[in-house]
Amino acid sequence: MKKRQIRAVIKKDIMAVASSFQLWLPMLLLPVVFSLVMPSLLILPAYKYDISERSILEVLDDLPPGELRETIFSFDSTNKQMVYFGVHYLFAPFLLIIPLMAASVLGSGSFAREKERKTMESLLLAPISAFDLFWAKILASFIPAVLLAFISFLLYGTIVNLTAYRLFGGLIFPRPHWLILLFWVSPALSLGAVFLNVFISAKVKGFQEAYQLGALTVLPLIALIAGQITGVLLLSNTVLWLLGAGLWLLDLLLIKRSGRYLDRSKLFATLAS
Amino acid sequence: MEKAIISMEKVNKAFLPGIRVIDNLSFSVQKGEIIGILGPNGAGKTTTIRLLNGVLYPDAGRISVAGFDPVSAGDEVRKRCGVLTESAGLYEHMTARDNLLFFAELYGVAEPVRQAGRLLSEFGLAEAARKKVGTFSTGMKKRLGIAKALLHDPEILFLDEPTTGLDPEGSRALLNYIKELNREYRVTIFLATHLLKQVQDFGHRFLFIEQGRLLESGNFAELEGKYLREITLQVETGLAVSGDEFAGFPVIKKEPGYLWFRLESKNTVPLLLEKILAVAPVYSAVIAGRDLETIYFKIREEKR
Repeated sequence: MKKRQIRAVIKKDIMAVASSFQLWLPMLLLPVVFSLVMPSLLILPAYKYDISERSILEVLDDLPPGELRETIFSFDSTNKQMVYFGVHYLFAPFLLIIPLMAASVLGSGSFAREKERKTMESLLLAPISAFDLFWAKILASFIPAVLLAFISFLLYGTIVNLTAYRLFGGLIFPRPHWLILLFWVSPALSLGAVFLNVFISAKVKGFQEAYQLGALTVLPLIALIAGQITGVLLLSNTVLWLLGAGLWLLDLLLIKRSGRYLDRSKLFATLAS
Repeated sequence: MEKAIISMEKVNKAFLPGIRVIDNLSFSVQKGEIIGILGPNGAGKTTTIRLLNGVLYPDAGRISVAGFDPVSAGDEVRKRCGVLTESAGLYEHMTARDNLLFFAELYGVAEPVRQAGRLLSEFGLAEAARKKVGTFSTGMKKRLGIAKALLHDPEILFLDEPTTGLDPEGSRALLNYIKELNREYRVTIFLATHLLKQVQDFGHRFLFIEQGRLLESGNFAELEGKYLREITLQVETGLAVSGDEFAGFPVIKKEPGYLWFRLESKNTVPLLLEKILAVAPVYSAVIAGRDLETIYFKIREEKR
């Protein structure tokens, strides 16, 4: 691997995203909703109104015995129970969905935009191996996606603690599962999504095609995993660790097997056809 | 004899089964040569450049560039070659300087900033260095494309239709630069074009290809000797000829003040002029059709 070349491609791609208003604005929308709007809408009304929701209270009643059940039922009002559960569990999938959205948008554009801009041949004519180029493209989408998840997490945590401080009389964020999600599960899932989108992007002719194919094949699959995360979180942190490990293993397998489909001539073939 | 810096031996390439875009192509190029690869659109010129740089793999045959196989040691080849593609392949949302700095990193240039600055000045782009390439004229993009191809001081420079979109002044400046590069640094130039007049003056050798096959190759003198067996001499003279010959030389066209003679070879020119000068003044004499274009059509006529 040639680090200098990989670094150059990553830097160029990230700068391109940073300078494209149309590209990063939609990607910021979801983090803003997740980090600012949703916790505020849940927490602030709890100071004045009864926000209890029967279906959620039923879920709480069904919680298995353990630390989580004890913590939730140690609160003296259903409002607090609702806020605590919502903040820590109902909104948790967003920490996976945010980097996935970014991964999808950035990954699908990775090679496809080079083809549309007629710069792909310039890259292929340079002394950088197809594998290094592929890795550079993966990292150029993966790094901003993960960064976006980190920023969202920090912002979300800050807003939650600020708005809920008076209600609980102290800081309630984070719980350990957030850290496992942030550092273990979310990067693994993002890498898989980036990988699949970059791979599709390398194989099709243009961005539109890459984006649609990515959205059709990758997003539903990933959204399914993200959607089920609340259930997994309620089971135990060990299951979360295992889920992350499985995802990392899958990533490794995908990347290892992709080599044979990524020679220069095949990358070029999508330009010539 | 020095080992060829570029060689292709019986190379085939097909994009669709049974339809070869490169068909049993063989040729070699010596270090320091300027080679013109000539042919109509779709002849296989660009595909040849892509095969030589290892972005396309041949179906059969052997290729060697700078001593390396472009398929198995592609990066070694690409380190030694600069390529100007027809579309220049630049990032339009980036500045000229940033484009060069990016490609300098890809090519592992030792001092990217200094090298980019030098080339921008050399190609008259220093003032536009911090402007986005999207705002550039075609000529400026071409010049920047050449600068990009030269960033890593390549041994071989591949130019694919380098003067497309350039005005006559720009074309001449670019071709002069290429000539200078070849003369001063012995850079091997491999130039694909269908503009025959442009390469006639400075190409050392020419490869004529059509439908991926090599029709003919050689330097101008060799090709002229082989294909221009009869020549037409246009003479500006006061001589008046009533019939269709003069002193045994056939006259094929007459206009006031001008006569056109068909001669078997250029060796008979002095004799004809001597005969005319004995009876009338001669103001000028030009061998008509003594150019690459005429040779090109002759080759196509004969080899098809």
